[in-house]
Amino acid sequence: MADIPQIASSVTSLRQALEAHRYICSEQIATAVYLAYHLRKPVLIEGPPGVGKTELAKTTADMFDLPLIRLQCYEGLDEAKALYEWKYGKQLLYTQVLKQTLDEVLQGARGFAESVRRLHEFGDIFFSEEFLEARPLLKALRQENGCVLLIDEVDKSDHEFESLLLEILSDYQVSIPEIGTVKATREPPLVFLTSNNTREISDALKRRCLHLYIPFPDIELEQRIIHARVPEIPLQLQTQLVNFIHELRDLDLKKVPSISETIDWARTLLLLHADRLDPELVRNTLNVILKFQEDIDSVQGELRTLTDKATKARL
Amino acid sequence: MDLLLSSFIRALRNADVRISTAETLDALSTVELVGYADRSLLKSSLSLVLPKTVPEKAIFDATFDQFFAYRKATPIAPDASSSQSEPADFGQQGGQGSGEGGSGAPQNQGQSTSTRDEASAAETSAGEMAGAQSALGQLLMRGNQIEIDIAINAAGARVNVQQIEVFTQKGLYAWRILDAMGQQALQQEIDQLNGNAEVPSRRLGQELGRRRAWLREQVRDYVERQFLLNADVTGKRLRGDLLRNMRIGRIDATHHKAVQELVRRMARRLVSAYSRRRKVFRRGQLHVPRTLRRNMKYDDAIFDLHWRSQKVDRPKVFAICDVSGSVASYAGFMLMFLYSLDEVLPKVRSFAFSSDLGEVSELFGQHDAEEAIALTLKQYGGGSTDYAQAFSDLRRLCLDDIDKRSTVIVLGDARNNNADARGDILKEVYDRCRRLIWLNPEPRSMWNTGDSEMRFLAPYCHQVEECGTPAQLERVVSRLLRATR
Repeated sequence: MADIPQIASSVTSLRQALEAHRYICSEQIATAVYLAYHLRKPVLIEGPPGVGKTELAKTTADMFDLPLIRLQCYEGLDEAKALYEWKYGKQLLYTQVLKQTLDEVLQGARGFAESVRRLHEFGDIFFSEEFLEARPLLKALRQENGCVLLIDEVDKSDHEFESLLLEILSDYQVSIPEIGTVKATREPPLVFLTSNNTREISDALKRRCLHLYIPFPDIELEQRIIHARVPEIPLQLQTQLVNFIHELRDLDLKKVPSISETIDWARTLLLLHADRLDPELVRNTLNVILKFQEDIDSVQGELRTLTDKATKARL
Repeated sequence: MDLLLSSFIRALRNADVRISTAETLDALSTVELVGYADRSLLKSSLSLVLPKTVPEKAIFDATFDQFFAYRKATPIAPDASSSQSEPADFGQQGGQGSGEGGSGAPQNQGQSTSTRDEASAAETSAGEMAGAQSALGQLLMRGNQIEIDIAINAAGARVNVQQIEVFTQKGLYAWRILDAMGQQALQQEIDQLNGNAEVPSRRLGQELGRRRAWLREQVRDYVERQFLLNADVTGKRLRGDLLRNMRIGRIDATHHKAVQELVRRMARRLVSAYSRRRKVFRRGQLHVPRTLRRNMKYDDAIFDLHWRSQKVDRPKVFAICDVSGSVASYAGFMLMFLYSLDEVLPKVRSFAFSSDLGEVSELFGQHDAEEAIALTLKQYGGGSTDYAQAFSDLRRLCLDDIDKRSTVIVLGDARNNNADARGDILKEVYDRCRRLIWLNPEPRSMWNTGDSEMRFLAPYCHQVEECGTPAQLERVVSRLLRATR
């Protein structure tokens, strides 16, 4: 069991712990986790794809040694899939099984009113905890020792779903009409929401969250990330590769390479036993970092200059 | 409540970062947690709590730096050099030069601002000074930067410098603050000292004068900062009100951004009314749980089926915008509305025309607002209007796509240079679509005058509205919303 209060005692210790779990991050990101833990507020993470938004939630769960409950959002996601659902099969089965008992209960009841009264004595058995199927959100609230709840790509869901989240995010509770309000146990979950900004998240949701924007890292930070993720890579290649990626990000591309692509590329080059960049090598592996033919075509022409720049920059 | 934080939030709001009360409370608990001691930690913490979009974060960074920066304080040590304090230079020289019989004094006198002070300074020799009597004089002579800052702040609060509204008040407030700090007493003391025969007293008077000049500098800076942080609030609100009621054609280009935001908000409202409707379809996957539950009341005999698929009914919008010479001044605004529609609604097809009509949806998809509008105007704008041509182009391009779920919005002044506007084609569109709305930027009294064809075209519209100002457009949008509910 990780010593959570110890790790979360300061921003620096959090940052070190994250780095120990191979998540290299800026001060800002560590501060976000620090505040999320101490203020008990959800964090809304935005940024270009592939900068480690989801990874942050995963690493945090790892670091605190807490279970990660993940809810992937998509269009049409509703409360039956996100929050709770009644176990209808079980309900049905039980009614069949209990038919006998019901008959006995109702035996000798005179008139409709009396039958109903006797039935009422049973209470709302069929809509009780036993018949409740918890979905991710409810599950997260019920975790005894707390957990990390990751609501991934919340921008893909509908507006209605966002409103559904509001109660959970601000009070860590949900209202189920048949049962009442379910509150989080002793330790409310740490909530991370990620968004790729395909649509504007509503103000109401933003207001309840800390807002963390993760941009592309600067050269130095990216070097450290590569070093942490692909430690076997020769230093010279690592420097050149990160420089090259940064050159690419300055170009007008349809999709600029993200950190995850840099890591992939580093692994690829390692596999090819390269120890430095040269135009031919880059040409052959360009499809690892660029995902559109259009982009590849436009970069092909400038390959030599770009490679030269990248190799000379730090030498 | 934390005064520093609340005034910082005030400054942020002033810089157009929207901060709610809930967020203010969050910021408060954040500050309680992290404290003021570590500036960079405070900045990164608050930037998580207060600004909620990327542009807002940039504004936040700038405002934070501006607000919390203790300006490079010009020291007031006796031998303070050059820059702002000519009198200081002088005093020093005078002090040194006294052995040579004050020969350095006259040649410097030209630069000095307050000749009498300088002259007396030249006479004084290096040596001990008398103690200052007035409160402000003592404060200045102690020369404690922090103490003085506190005093300035306190005086600022006393004269309500936060209420500063326009730049012409800067001098007034600076003077009031100095008054509140006891400037008069200081002045009297300086006068007295300068008239004194004793050298240490005159030396003190001269030194006090120099420090007073420095203090004025500080107060002016302070007022300047307060003005930046506080003054624009009312100005902006005033401007917002003015903009809403101004005819679009006359709004200055510098305010287009504000108008754009206004327009975008309206387009979003218009659209949200349409895109909310859900239709339950009798098709798709069976929703077993719901079906079973709903049929329990029939003793499990299933005859009321429920389906999983629920179709969001997103109506198509066809927006047609006149960009000809006659509406040149409005064209930018109408295109902006068109662009905003396109932005908020997935299925908008936008068209622009003067005579030939062309689809600009793709153009809007690829460029940002300003560029797209400029390109559209370049491609289609400026010509003479021909509604007949435009309507027949529309028929050719997309009449088949217009169905009973479509809404057609026409933005134009219906001035057709005395040619036949072909209302019959508009009728075809009218018959096919769910709603045809005509938004005319001209005042209603101008309709049907000259070559305006409004009276011939209006019968084929479900709704005809005037929308020359953002306020009118807002009214149109809310009326549309009522009509659709």
